[in-house]
Amino acid sequence: MADHHLEIDNLVKTYPGALKPSVDRVSLSLPRGEMLALLGPSGCGKTTILRMIAGLIPVTAGEIRLDGRGISAIPVHKRNMGMVFQAYALFPHMTVAENIGFGLEMRGVGKAERTERVLKALDLVKLSGYGERRVSQLSGGQQQRAAIARSLVIEPALLLFDEPLSNLDAKLRDEMRDEIRDIQNRTGVTSIFVTHDQDEALSMADRLAVMSEGRLEQIGTPRQIFDRPRTDFVASFIGAGSFLTGTVVAPGRADVPGLGILHFTGDVPAGGKARFLVRPHRFVLGEGVNAFSGVVEHVVYRGQILTIAVRAGDHRLQADLPTHAATLPAKGDRVTLSVAPDDVTLVGEAA
Amino acid sequence: MDAKLARFAFALLITLLYLFLLAPIIVVLVISFDTRQYLAFPPESLSFGSYAKVFANVKFISAFWRSLGIGLFVGLVSIFAGLLLSLALSRHDFRGKGAINFLILAPFLVPHIVLAVGVMLVLGPLGLLDSYSGIFLAHLGITTPYTVRTITMSLMAVDRRIEEAARVHGASPAMVLWRITLPLVRPGLIAGAVIAFLISFDEATISLFIVSVKSSTLPTEIYHYLEYSTDPQIAALSVILILISVGVVVVVERLIGLRKAL
Amino acid sequence: MAAVRHSSSDGSSHRGMLLLLLLPGLLALLTTFLLPLIWLVRASFASSAVAALKGGDWTLESYRTVLYDPFYWKVAWNTLYLGVNVAIFAVALSYPIALFLARTKSRWRGVLTALAVAPLLTSSVVRTYGWMVILGDRGVINAALQSSGLTDGVIRLTNNYFGATVALVEILMPYAILAMLSGFGRLNTQFEEAAALLGANRFRVFTRIILPLSLPGVLTAALLVFVLAISSFVTPRLMGGGRVFVIGTEVYNEATVTLNWPLAAALSVLLLVLFGSVILIYQRAMRALET
Repeated sequence: MADHHLEIDNLVKTYPGALKPSVDRVSLSLPRGEMLALLGPSGCGKTTILRMIAGLIPVTAGEIRLDGRGISAIPVHKRNMGMVFQAYALFPHMTVAENIGFGLEMRGVGKAERTERVLKALDLVKLSGYGERRVSQLSGGQQQRAAIARSLVIEPALLLFDEPLSNLDAKLRDEMRDEIRDIQNRTGVTSIFVTHDQDEALSMADRLAVMSEGRLEQIGTPRQIFDRPRTDFVASFIGAGSFLTGTVVAPGRADVPGLGILHFTGDVPAGGKARFLVRPHRFVLGEGVNAFSGVVEHVVYRGQILTIAVRAGDHRLQADLPTHAATLPAKGDRVTLSVAPDDVTLVGEAA
Repeated sequence: MDAKLARFAFALLITLLYLFLLAPIIVVLVISFDTRQYLAFPPESLSFGSYAKVFANVKFISAFWRSLGIGLFVGLVSIFAGLLLSLALSRHDFRGKGAINFLILAPFLVPHIVLAVGVMLVLGPLGLLDSYSGIFLAHLGITTPYTVRTITMSLMAVDRRIEEAARVHGASPAMVLWRITLPLVRPGLIAGAVIAFLISFDEATISLFIVSVKSSTLPTEIYHYLEYSTDPQIAALSVILILISVGVVVVVERLIGLRKAL
Repeated sequence: MAAVRHSSSDGSSHRGMLLLLLLPGLLALLTTFLLPLIWLVRASFASSAVAALKGGDWTLESYRTVLYDPFYWKVAWNTLYLGVNVAIFAVALSYPIALFLARTKSRWRGVLTALAVAPLLTSSVVRTYGWMVILGDRGVINAALQSSGLTDGVIRLTNNYFGATVALVEILMPYAILAMLSGFGRLNTQFEEAAALLGANRFRVFTRIILPLSLPGVLTAALLVFVLAISSFVTPRLMGGGRVFVIGTEVYNEATVTLNWPLAAALSVLLLVLFGSVILIYQRAMRALET
């Protein structure tokens, strides 16, 4: 891609006194208008990256470029970033309108224009009429909207979200998820949001950057990340599944000890070892190319699906079965699970 | 044991203890309305005579204004110095921070009478004994630790993300301080100033070592008066002092809660 | 302010800003706290009042005076005796109040706490005066005793150690209550309920749960009251009417009446040393309690 709006190049952050870097040589880039999710468990360095982009903490090494120009030397307040904080960080001593107008005021925008732009921003986040309220008079979702408006009104170069939905209850979270995506689509602002919630990342972002222990594990579209995880970490962090390790005996065929021959698509030279992942919903009940039979050890009924764990050889396979079948397997039953070669994900070559 | 009886006994005990704790204040209040010239209880008849006498006593009135002026000035300077120190301590990391923290706490550990002798010995050669600047300096030393403490507590209560949000959205460091941090710690600032004022206004120990005629404060005037006489005039004066204290207590309790401030 | 916190690019302006922030407060503390203490120690070794101000000679004369004069041994004993008595009574009388405030669920809790602590913010001169009125020869107690016919003559309650002790107990109680309230953080009614469910009666709940858990707070309160009591002088002087001799009154006497500044300084230094040792003992005791 030619027009990279934001480029992060070998970014490193080591806190003073720390043995390991919090962010370790991370490189990624965003085209204009994209929404990227930084996904990972807590402490993986995703928030640190966000704070370095915002300028809240200095960079140890590497570069952050905006439209081709390095921004590391620009102080926070001159970077023109918008940021939505986890607990919103609205100014408690100001009204909603004053909060939203704050950035404009700092930029020396005149009062009349300020008022007008604040009203527009309020409208954009569906908070029209709430301008004169105190922050404490707003609900959690409304505070979230006000925080987004505060960041959008300054027409930021980037809009940064730090765990934006984690302070909301489940129902509101789904609603705000769509809302944020909708606002982002309409304004076209290049956005990065940090989250530890895979559903949030998969459903909201154009692309996902999965991080672990300061390193970037994989970056790609939600589909690529989910269906073609390149590392064990990505495969296990996003979605569930059964991991299988085998020796490739012929093109597209691997011998998995304690299970049997596994057919897959993808080229690994014969003789090499490889790691495979089968997502639970890829398994079907009955005979097929890759068929493994075993005893049902565990059954969890989840409404639309039935999750079963099957002991097959030395392995425990997890499968999600649709519940519309006439009879469902019960604990202790002997069943056969099969999976199409196309549905076997090659995670990587193992040592 | 009968639970009801035990509860009643405990309630009675608490009431009696509160009575003991508040006894001098109550008694002073009652006796300030006595008409007699000497100290006695209960009062024979009630009047505002003692108050009239206090207001006619030039010594007391001028000492009152002096104490008020010194207290206000001490309060203001003390929160200024305290605010800067608190900002340095709560928003910056630097070497020697521990030493400075100790230096701020140390005055709590040194008895005022010891400090009084030292202050007297320092002010003497400078010609500052019995001067406003002398009392001001002495009081500043004992009030600043309190203001640093109240302001630091208020600063710590401010969510750092709020300051960060202001910075990200375009506020320079000075603007963050002026528009965000200061308004948010205002209760702590006012509480600190009010407490510093009161400590200075009520301070007797150090003042007694460094003032005589020219710069006598209200507490030192009362002390010297009490050495010879205990008439109800002092009770009236005390009530005025108590009222000022009550005002301070209410303000501080409203702003940040009394327990946090002390 | 905060913008410069970690930034390495503008380290010099950071340092300048920091200096600017620290300077006024540090200057104030230096001239009003550190300098006086240094001067005090120096003056305690001076041979005369003039030398105490100007500096110059060093002598142990003042300390020798204090250590060899039986009067000062008596004064030290009086001070300790007063301090221990005041600490014991103030803590004993404050404990129920603090316990009550820590555990009550009454909506008056805030007001009652303020009421218990607020006397801290009234002048100790005023409250001492209050006790002079209560305990005086024609004060509240004597008047009540005489009118009820219990006594004919006057019972001496002021101008002696008794009066000073009572007044100091009351004046220092708010400190004790405050210290205990902070120390009672660990007291949780759940422990008591658990103990009661396990079959402990009220007495055992108190001795086995409440008392041990509140001990650190009690210890802190005792220390605070003790150190404040042994360094007090306004209350012992006024309540004692010149008949109570403690370190505080003697320091004041030497400093303002006799004008023997080296001796006043030496007595102050001794008080400071006493202070330091008590605080050290307290720290040891607290550590022992924690382990």
